[in-house]
Amino acid sequence: MVVKEAPEILDKIALEFKTKGEVRRKGRIWLDMPAEGFVDFCRWLREQGFEHLSAISAIDWPAEGVYGLAYHIWSYADKTLITLKVKIDRQNAVMDSVTSVWDGSAQAHEREIHELFGIKFEGNNNLTPLFLEDWEGPPPFRKDFDWREYVGDKCYNRENERERVYYD
Amino acid sequence: MSVTSATTGKMNANESITISQSQPVAEDGGYDFYFGPAHPGSGNFGVKLRMAGEVVTSARADPGYLHRGFEKLMEYRLPIQNSVLSDRICVLEALNWNLIHAEAVEELMEIEPPERAKYIRVIMAELSRIQSHIIWFGAFSIGTGFETGFKLAFGYRDYILDLFEMITGGRVYPAGYICPGGVRRDFPDGAPQRIAQVLDQIGRMVRIEEIEHPALPARTKGVGVLSLEDAIRLGATGPVLRASGLRADVRKDDPYELYERFDFEVPTREEGDAYARYLVGIEEVRQSVRIIRQALQQLPEGEVIAPNLRRIKLTVKIPEGEVYVRNEVARGEAGMYMVGDGGDKPYRVKIRGPSFLHMIPVLEHLLTGAQIADVPAIYWSLNVCPADLDR
Repeated sequence: MVVKEAPEILDKIALEFKTKGEVRRKGRIWLDMPAEGFVDFCRWLREQGFEHLSAISAIDWPAEGVYGLAYHIWSYADKTLITLKVKIDRQNAVMDSVTSVWDGSAQAHEREIHELFGIKFEGNNNLTPLFLEDWEGPPPFRKDFDWREYVGDKCYNRENERERVYYD
Repeated sequence: MSVTSATTGKMNANESITISQSQPVAEDGGYDFYFGPAHPGSGNFGVKLRMAGEVVTSARADPGYLHRGFEKLMEYRLPIQNSVLSDRICVLEALNWNLIHAEAVEELMEIEPPERAKYIRVIMAELSRIQSHIIWFGAFSIGTGFETGFKLAFGYRDYILDLFEMITGGRVYPAGYICPGGVRRDFPDGAPQRIAQVLDQIGRMVRIEEIEHPALPARTKGVGVLSLEDAIRLGATGPVLRASGLRADVRKDDPYELYERFDFEVPTREEGDAYARYLVGIEEVRQSVRIIRQALQQLPEGEVIAPNLRRIKLTVKIPEGEVYVRNEVARGEAGMYMVGDGGDKPYRVKIRGPSFLHMIPVLEHLLTGAQIADVPAIYWSLNVCPADLDR
């Protein structure tokens, strides 16, 4: 099996979108992208053979006031992984959905991020929670959510001798 | 149906309850049917099925029963603690998840584990894959009403668990045996010989599994057919994708550890049904045995942990940066995205479990339109693990 070197797709990206990618190691490309026109870029990328959306990761950067989103996309033909990084405003956390590009897999990943980080994906018609039942607290994977504090407040009783140890 | 009041013995209109409130039967004759989470065959996972007679008209995955929030927990812990935590991501193949966590930390810290450690890692990861596939056959057998297959599988799995106990100290959870920098300790005396003996046993098991039990093909051939186009669209990976006809394996396409040194095949089938997935699984066990035999033959002498981590250090600095590592675990593609900020704990960890997509979009797609009797066969043919879905 011939493994193509990464730069070929990198040249194409530079030509079409005037964005510079970075090759960190063989078969790993990292790209910073603006949120505008992101879905169009993804559609183009899928047409180039990047068919498998491996995962979407969200990162909370409260100090900068942004959420980072990282889309890890694999091409079965090129044997290359492209990670697209986007930053969106933390106060108004809305991102265009890529369900029109990667369909079912994108929908499930976005559902998870919506539940755990509170990021809204416009165009995803199913953002119902997956994991947490009757959850009323803030999205729990945000950096400003301290689960130890939350559990202390909600789940234990300071008056109870056995549970007091959790507060010490 | 109504109940009578216990105190007066007379019927009270306010107390009357009806069954139709809990199990609504719509005008079209449709009703809800819950497969799991209390079903013995479902694991800690549920699927809410909408039925019309015996046919599933829509399916909705209901995960969350094993959500432990590992991604968040890891932000509070040191790598040495996280490598123990990573066992628990998937109960059924703890060593594979140990490995992927160790790789992520190593790539961030730019540590290269010694050669012998890499061989030991491959051997342990492949043993883990075999025992995970054996559980799969067991669960698949019992899901299709073949109880002997279940007992047979779990009996043979114990040979591998004995090996794990001898090498790592834990039968199911190795407690971070594969740690950043290498492995926690070297093989004990005689381990390679014991492994070789167990491989002979596994070879025997595979031959037994291959003997066609007439019930299994009858219940799984043509059931839960996943076309290649749908498999890619819904994000299927691993044996599920290969049974639909795409020869894709992270070990071949994006080699990690030492996989490019070993000679092995990536089995595929064209049918895409439950039976094809089972056959791919059987062949994968045979290929894993091949890999381990080669690794045992080539196993060099030497250190098993990187020099700067030889003395256990509780705190190591995770440099600023980010990595995304991918591995082929028994269920498919596993990924870990790790961001470091220069502190001693990872700033953010994202875990990509293969079952996440197999159990939500793929399962919902396959169950829609299926017969109710085929639900367990379809469910188990996907080699699912609720633990790595929920994380």
